[in-house]
Amino acid sequence: MHKPIITIILICFLGCKTDKNHEKNVDLSDWSVVDAKGQNQSMNMMMWKGDPKINAYMNDFVLPKVKSQYGIDVNIVSGQGNMIVQSLMTELQANKSESEIDLVWINGETFYQLRQIDALYGPWTSVLPNTKYINFDNPFIGKDFQQDIDGYELPWGNVQMTWIYDSAKVKNPPQNKAELLDFAKAHPGQFTFDNHFTGLTFLKSLLISFAENPKELYGDFDEATYQKYSQQIWNYINQLKPYLWQEGEAFPENVPQMHQLFASGEIWFSMSNNDSEVDNKINEGLFQNTARAYVPDFGSIQNSHYLGIPKLSQHKATAMLVANFMISAQAQAHKSKPEVWGDGSILDIENLPENQKQHFQYIAKRRYAPLRSELDQNALMELHPEYMIRLAEDFRTKIINP
Amino acid sequence: MISKVLKYSFVLAVVFPIVFLLGLSLAQQWQFPEILPQEWTFQHWGNSLFKQGDILESLFLSLGLSLTLASLVSVLAFFMSKYIAYSKYRQQYMRLTLVPYILSPVVLAVTFQYYFTVANLSGNFIGVLIAQLFFALPFGIVIFNNFWNAHLKSIEQLSFTLGASAWQSLLKVILPLSKPAIVLCFFQSFLVSWFEYGLTQFIGLGKVKTLTVMVFNFINEANVFYAALACVMLILPPILLLYLNKRILILAR
Amino acid sequence: MKVYPVLIKLLFGLLIVLPLVAGLSYALSYSLGLSGLLSKGFTLDYWQKALTSQNLWVSFLYSLSIGLVSVVTSLCIAVSMALSWNKSIQQGRLSYFIFLPLCFPATVMAFLVLQWLSPSGWFSRIAFELGFICSLNDFPNVVRDFYGVGIIFCSVLLITPFFTILMSNIYRNENLLELEKLSKTLGASSRKTLRCVTLPILFKKSKMTLLLFVIFVMSSYEVPLILGRQYPQMVSVAIVQKIQKFNLNDIPLGFAMSVLYVLLVILVLVLFGKPSRKYLKPNIK
Repeated sequence: MHKPIITIILICFLGCKTDKNHEKNVDLSDWSVVDAKGQNQSMNMMMWKGDPKINAYMNDFVLPKVKSQYGIDVNIVSGQGNMIVQSLMTELQANKSESEIDLVWINGETFYQLRQIDALYGPWTSVLPNTKYINFDNPFIGKDFQQDIDGYELPWGNVQMTWIYDSAKVKNPPQNKAELLDFAKAHPGQFTFDNHFTGLTFLKSLLISFAENPKELYGDFDEATYQKYSQQIWNYINQLKPYLWQEGEAFPENVPQMHQLFASGEIWFSMSNNDSEVDNKINEGLFQNTARAYVPDFGSIQNSHYLGIPKLSQHKATAMLVANFMISAQAQAHKSKPEVWGDGSILDIENLPENQKQHFQYIAKRRYAPLRSELDQNALMELHPEYMIRLAEDFRTKIINP
Repeated sequence: MISKVLKYSFVLAVVFPIVFLLGLSLAQQWQFPEILPQEWTFQHWGNSLFKQGDILESLFLSLGLSLTLASLVSVLAFFMSKYIAYSKYRQQYMRLTLVPYILSPVVLAVTFQYYFTVANLSGNFIGVLIAQLFFALPFGIVIFNNFWNAHLKSIEQLSFTLGASAWQSLLKVILPLSKPAIVLCFFQSFLVSWFEYGLTQFIGLGKVKTLTVMVFNFINEANVFYAALACVMLILPPILLLYLNKRILILAR
Repeated sequence: MKVYPVLIKLLFGLLIVLPLVAGLSYALSYSLGLSGLLSKGFTLDYWQKALTSQNLWVSFLYSLSIGLVSVVTSLCIAVSMALSWNKSIQQGRLSYFIFLPLCFPATVMAFLVLQWLSPSGWFSRIAFELGFICSLNDFPNVVRDFYGVGIIFCSVLLITPFFTILMSNIYRNENLLELEKLSKTLGASSRKTLRCVTLPILFKKSKMTLLLFVIFVMSSYEVPLILGRQYPQMVSVAIVQKIQKFNLNDIPLGFAMSVLYVLLVILVLVLFGKPSRKYLKPNIK
């Protein structure tokens, strides 16, 4: 019944349909072709815009550089993982020939979902000249949530989750699950985690901590293993729940909200998937300078974030040029400055040519978070996205709405 | 006496939010339990007005969008509501009109986003304009609905009897009489568009950054001071409108 | 001149009926597994899941009760203001201030409420400075709380000015002052006049508007997005979340919910809607 209606509506709308095909028959596996075709165009990039520092890095550094070097205008559009999936999915479904989006900032479950619906172009990353300096041997970079990236996404940065606390109020931050529980009991209402990526990353590291060997959880999703350990995690969270912020009846919706609560003194802990966040936020004036970052003894998850090109993009060459710039030593070094963003580089800095290595030489150390080398000791791998989807679902049904 | 105190406290309660927002937009640091910000600054205003200019850009975009929509709705609603009001099926027409009128715009947007994508209308100005029209037009028709009455119809009939053409009657008789209704409809639909967030965000894919969308982005970043600043910009035009003509605001939501 | 009616009908169909029907049929076909990239053909699974999920019904009931409570609360405030300040609302300086809150879009109002009522908010700071509370955790939790106090408070702020104006207009247009005088001349007490004359007339004339506002509040999106919490959720937020969050298999469920919501609203209108009456009467002289 609805099919004819849809058809009629489609016909009505077809009048305004204007499709341009710029890139038919262009060989994108040849960098010189990409270089020639990609310049002097404009393109759209969709990314999470929840952090002023990251926005400033893009607006004040990347955009002007690609404009002056290649004449490319990049228009940045706000949209996180699920929004990206939703938009690209609708386009595929609508049989569009051209995507509204040419470059996306993704990782983990967004990558998984986009591959599920076959929305990504690839493999394309090996064409980029700067790819040869990427440290693909590092499993934290070469694998995204246990998945092979297969050239469908390009590593852009690497981070590790840290816990943030106010050292003026917390002298000895909890180092393991038992300590956390004791701490929460002694100071009810001061600890929480958000209902989004960061909180789920926290839950994943807890899940791993219940396993005797983290390797049990690595690889593809396994229902039996999940059942075994998730039971324990919900028991633990339920013990913790009455002592969480708002008695565990509500959770901050996202990290900025949690930061805001931390900044105003409503909670004593925050978290971030970006290990240099605490320096950023103190510099911005949002956090008091007694805020510190640390990783508890049971470790935290380290992961990378990536750039992908939608299959239907008509500006693939342009997107590739921009992506190549974004993984250049210059852009990566600037990005890793704590006062800029503090994002970990995915380049193998030791093996860079001397003239490029110099970019990394004079980067000020961060002051309020542990060194990356220390964090590496406690780094856990990301789990398969299905674990996260299941944790999110169970978190909703078992904790938020039991 | 009590009534006077109540009245003054009411006035205070109404003006306070504006002062509060303004203060927040000038604050730099404001930690618990300070009642007033610890540091004041004009930097946010300077940045958004002169340096980055993105808030200013949004202001103009919003103005453009809302003014275009308001004109479109006023013209369409005028003719459509007139036809509906004098039709045999007025009740049925109005019932249908009320459905999009009271539905949640964002749910509407969710259900027809697919078609907008197919038609290349998502993520651009025209798309958002059309999407807003789908729910602002019913608004306009509802506003006009009570305006067309038997009295007005008899005046129109009279003008025909006296030999006026349809065109003359419209131009010389009906339009002058309906000026207040048109003005009301124009400003109402202006505000509907001005205040809209969910639908604009969904159909505009975040690319059509109206001022309301900006406010939400700032709130999501927990960027309180800029959010307050954008809020001030958002309420200034309606306040100006209020000053010009308070009656037009009645149906704003 | 037969072109004109056809044109109008066409416009009506295209701009009002079509989007609704189109949207509804798309949502319906998606929820039945007929469209969507991951669809595997016709299935009633999602509907079964939606209808039996406690979440959905909680969401509807929660929204409805928030709508009802907000409207009733605003109504009480509005009627008392309209009756006691009737003259100054219609003209004079106070009239400007009555209208002022109408300049605040839902987004701004919700943001303000958050800044005021959250535990680290402005009211909590005042309470702290005055010594009523010793730490911000003592401040009652009214934002993102179970009962939706924050959402209700914000909705009341948003709709009370409108109701006040509406009531004051009805009061004037229906000549209530004269009726009240008459009733008193006939020997009724002030209280009886209020109970048997003024309030019934006000209520009768504004019934439809009140109903519409219950639905408005029920469907609101921006306010619960800022002031709501993960459970229970208001309808619009729940639908959008289902369609946009992590699990792609939840999307048909979200569409089923939206179809249900639209049908519910249509049902209410068919049952109670008498569109030609005087509800939402613009104040044009």
